[in-house]
Amino acid sequence: MSNILVIEDDDIMLKAIRNILRKDGHEVLTAKDGKEAFERLDNDEYDVVITDLMMPYANGLEVVSRLRSNPTKRHVGIIVCSSVGNEETITEAFRLGADDYLKKPIMAGELMIRIRKLLANRSSGAKLVTKKK
Amino acid sequence: MWRDLVDLLFQAYEQFSLLPLFIEIALAFIVIAILATIIAYGAIMYKRYKSYVHEKRVAFIGPIIEEMITEQVLLNENLGRDIPTEEIEFDQAALNDKVYKKPFVRQILIETLVQYRKNFRGEVGDLLRKLYIDMDLQKDSFNKLKSLRWEKKIKAVVELTQMDITISDVTILPLTNSTNPSLRAAARNAYVQLSKNEPFKFFDIATEPLLPWDQLELFKIITTTKDIAIPNFSRWVSYSTNKSIVSFCLKLIAHYDQQSAIPAVMELLNNKDHYFRADAIACLGKLSADAAEEKMVRIYNHQPLNCQIEILKAMGSIASGRHLEFLKSEFLYSSNFDIRMNAARAIIRHNTQNSRLLVEELMEMTYEENQLIIKHCLNPLIKY
Repeated sequence: MSNILVIEDDDIMLKAIRNILRKDGHEVLTAKDGKEAFERLDNDEYDVVITDLMMPYANGLEVVSRLRSNPTKRHVGIIVCSSVGNEETITEAFRLGADDYLKKPIMAGELMIRIRKLLANRSSGAKLVTKKK
Repeated sequence: MWRDLVDLLFQAYEQFSLLPLFIEIALAFIVIAILATIIAYGAIMYKRYKSYVHEKRVAFIGPIIEEMITEQVLLNENLGRDIPTEEIEFDQAALNDKVYKKPFVRQILIETLVQYRKNFRGEVGDLLRKLYIDMDLQKDSFNKLKSLRWEKKIKAVVELTQMDITISDVTILPLTNSTNPSLRAAARNAYVQLSKNEPFKFFDIATEPLLPWDQLELFKIITTTKDIAIPNFSRWVSYSTNKSIVSFCLKLIAHYDQQSAIPAVMELLNNKDHYFRADAIACLGKLSADAAEEKMVRIYNHQPLNCQIEILKAMGSIASGRHLEFLKSEFLYSSNFDIRMNAARAIIRHNTQNSRLLVEELMEMTYEENQLIIKHCLNPLIKY
């Protein structure tokens, strides 16, 4: 079971993703805006963060940037899930350190598979680092 | 009591009639102003009360609806088991709950389903659509489509489009030509998304203009809708009498690189409307229509400034190299700054041995301002 933080300002989408991920066996916490997301990220540990881009207080790119610039949170997998589909924004999200990008409308099955893959990659990466040490 | 009141009013009127005219007018204004204020406040209070009641209802029924959708769709056990969506059954007891018989609940349910559909595609999206159909919610949307109020019609069109429910041509085609711009735009967008065979049929009957913002919206829908049948847009360029439709078709021709439309677009170079001609020239440039270059150079001197600039831009895109001398003379001898700028840019865009030599030659022979123009155009970081 993994800890996932879902950051999304659309209430319906937030609840829907939460329910889908809980069904898949994950522990899910939610945040409705950038401010709440930062508070949650400061207080708890997460394996994966799923974030929207357009949100009040701080946008998704700021969340990605903040996670990647923090040495203790750098390992967290990040999936950006947004209706923004232009090339610059997607490239910028990856440049800042996002692991994956899902364009809305999303497919529930696809989201679950991508989370599983991300978690598997992260754990195999962690094993490699341990072996090297 | 009524008698006293009538007497009082009668006395007031008698006294009023004895007053000077300007006082009478002032009093009339005061009475009208007070009445208007009372009516305005009454309307505001009524609207606020209505929205308060609606919010209360949504707050009460929203979680019930979301729970039902979560149970029936998001957490449906048959999802992800390779069972076709049409064969997945819902819990009929939950769907037939008497709460879903109330019109306001059904409306909130439709709005919630639409919101979910905006966020989910694939199996979940299909199941949301099935739920909408199984609960007969499309009937509610079709009933709204018959309403006399345009905002209700728009709501219905958006709901049916989001749920991918086909609307008959008899119903939607008249709406695509409505005099109400918002309804017209919504119906046109819906028609393109829902009509599988002829999504552009409404172009044939459109007499109302396609406004610039609506063109943007429609362009986005056309270019992002999957499996849309793209016709040859030159058909409307040749025959449509609606200028905005022709102008929009020119943009679509350029976007889809419809080379077969070049002859029809070239015909527009003879059009009396210079905005039209400018659009046609821009389209020919984007199509790199080599065949049109000769004619554009021939008509150049008789064109207004906007068309001349478009011709220079188009020549930069076509870049056949046959008219470098013409571009050189425009750059050297035109008194208009924009002409010189676009001529320089057109020469540079050729990017051939000859054009590069010409640029060097121009840098040596021309005066300082023109040299600055060339340097500006040569800078790859400056695009406009």
